Amino acid sequence: MEAVQFLATIQAYTGIGIGLIIGLGAAGACIGIGIMCASFLEGAARQPEMIPALQGKVFLLLGLIDASFIIGVGLAMMFAFANPLLSVVPH
Amino acid sequence: MENIKTAQVYKQMVKWQLIATISVAVLAFVLAESTGAVSGKHAAISALAGGMSAVLGGLAGALIAKSGDKKNNAGAILITMLKAEAVKIFIIALLLFLTFKLYNEHLVPIALILGLAASAILSGAAFFGLDKK
Repeated sequence: MEAVQFLATIQAYTGIGIGLIIGLGAAGACIGIGIMCASFLEGAARQPEMIPALQGKVFLLLGLIDASFIIGVGLAMMFAFANPLLSVVPH
Repeated sequence: MENIKTAQVYKQMVKWQLIATISVAVLAFVLAESTGAVSGKHAAISALAGGMSAVLGGLAGALIAKSGDKKNNAGAILITMLKAEAVKIFIIALLLFLTFKLYNEHLVPIALILGLAASAILSGAAFFGLDKK
């Protein structure tokens, strides 16, 4: 019975952790993308001839800003599908 | 300043991502074989699965972002870029989900995360390649 309680507690806290990883990661990525897109629009409004030159770099930086979020999603999936913390519960 | 098209950016990006993925896969294989804790083959496959998720997601995103090359309106370009990014994240999440579901028995999670992280972070190294040109 104690093992089941341990298991339930670990899974509950893991669920909260997964939510925090994805939620905070998404919030950070969205703030970063928002700042970058605002800067791109500002730059495009000031110098429209720079749009093609900035376009590729915006695409690259979008990927870089999202990298932390993608890694967070990978970690969250690891905790969801192959939780290493569950190994401490005796079978 | 030169005109850098999305296809050029993606070529640079995928080059760095593949280098990172293969490096991590080889490292995972060597470390797993030397420690003997897990199978080297499975560690390498896990690292490749993580890295290739990011590469394939980037490919899907690049295909959509390429359509923005013809547009001159900054707002329309931005919307296309954000669409491409959304598709990229969806594809990566889907591929990771499938990997965790279908390869669960032999998966080495830490190798997968390292492959994914190296591939995602080193895609930014393409920036230096573009600046050299």
